[in-house]
Amino acid sequence: MSGVAFDITSLVAQTGYPEPMSVLTLNHYLFVSAAMFALGLIGFLTRRNLIIMFLCTEMMFQAAGIALIAASRFWLNHTGQSFVIFVLTVAAAEAALALALVVLLFRKRESLDAEQWSEMSG
Amino acid sequence: MGEAISPFVLYAAIALGAIGVWMALPRRGVNPQVLGAIVGAAAVGLVLLGLGLRAGASDASHLPNIYFYVFAAIALGACLRVITHQKPVYAALYFILAILASAGLYLILSAEFMAFALIIIYAGAILITYLFVIMLATQAPSEERTEALSEYDATAREPLLATGVGFTLLAVLTSMLFTGSASLPDSEAVVAGRNGDEVLADLPSRVEEALVEAGLMGEGQTIARDADGQALIDPVARTASVETGGEIVEIAWPAGLAARNVESLAYDFLNRHPGTIEIAGIILLMAMLGAVVLSRRQVEIDEEAKAHQSRHLSVEDPA
Repeated sequence: MSGVAFDITSLVAQTGYPEPMSVLTLNHYLFVSAAMFALGLIGFLTRRNLIIMFLCTEMMFQAAGIALIAASRFWLNHTGQSFVIFVLTVAAAEAALALALVVLLFRKRESLDAEQWSEMSG
Repeated sequence: MGEAISPFVLYAAIALGAIGVWMALPRRGVNPQVLGAIVGAAAVGLVLLGLGLRAGASDASHLPNIYFYVFAAIALGACLRVITHQKPVYAALYFILAILASAGLYLILSAEFMAFALIIIYAGAILITYLFVIMLATQAPSEERTEALSEYDATAREPLLATGVGFTLLAVLTSMLFTGSASLPDSEAVVAGRNGDEVLADLPSRVEEALVEAGLMGEGQTIARDADGQALIDPVARTASVETGGEIVEIAWPAGLAARNVESLAYDFLNRHPGTIEIAGIILLMAMLGAVVLSRRQVEIDEEAKAHQSRHLSVEDPA
């Protein structure tokens, strides 16, 4: 992968294995992934809106996906990409259940505030 | 191979990022969101500059594609907006932007199938569900609640503590990732150890197609197959066997014959993880059932209505 030249056709209509990727390039992607994960964690901890809290867990899934794809690219191995498909599956299942729960909780208290349910902490 | 970035620069940038995110988190009164975003962007830029200088010093080809910086900036900026925006609808829309930027990163990493699957599944399906639920579960401003913004959206909970925890995790993660990646093998060694074209043995018609296109195979000739129906090719010696009227001839590997990304992905996905696919299907089914059960509305019927209903049914029923 060259530094500046970018040819979209070489990516989309790519045949065969791409050029090997350096560890130093891999580090860039891993940093973006880690930063996105940390932002998702902070969002999950600070936001009080239930929907945004679950949105932040999706963000953490996304960060894991970037790390998996980058590792898959580094090793020239497609297992990482297969795992991202499973991550997407789990994210979809989680979104369906979490949103059903949010709707249920909203009906009970007429509010999306997570603090409304603080008695559950015991 | 030395360290990817000086630990001092890394930790300074992470502390700077923590200050930026803390400033950008929503609160009442003075809300220095723009300043916080600028400080956070400076922190990310510092780390990427440090990584880039190290990569560029060894070889310019070790730098990531220029579009990496564009997509990474959009993705992290949109993620910051998701966790700092006070209105949930805007947070969800910014998350779609983050997904699109991640799809761009996937594309640079030559995972084009996953990039488009990500856009279709995440931006197209999951986020639309989120938007629907935001619309379902938001109170309209009424007479006693004139304020459109709820208290729980306007202020963050424990911003200082959460930012500290999040960025401590980031510091630990990045320093471990960079130490660990330094001990990874050289990329040339990774390539030498593998050959992705074995996949083609299971795709005889693809090999035939490439052979015909290259003009190496004419009428009455087919690619030779073994007892299992696999194409007789040798990905190491780069030869293919062609059958002509019962005779098998080995010919050179044609130009343009290589496993495509989607073919390799499908091969890996279906051959190596068949059980996992079944489990994923069960998880999805259970999630769907669970969502239906959780969100159904309990209809309250009093005793009289129940008696009326049963009388009504017993008259209707001829048995």
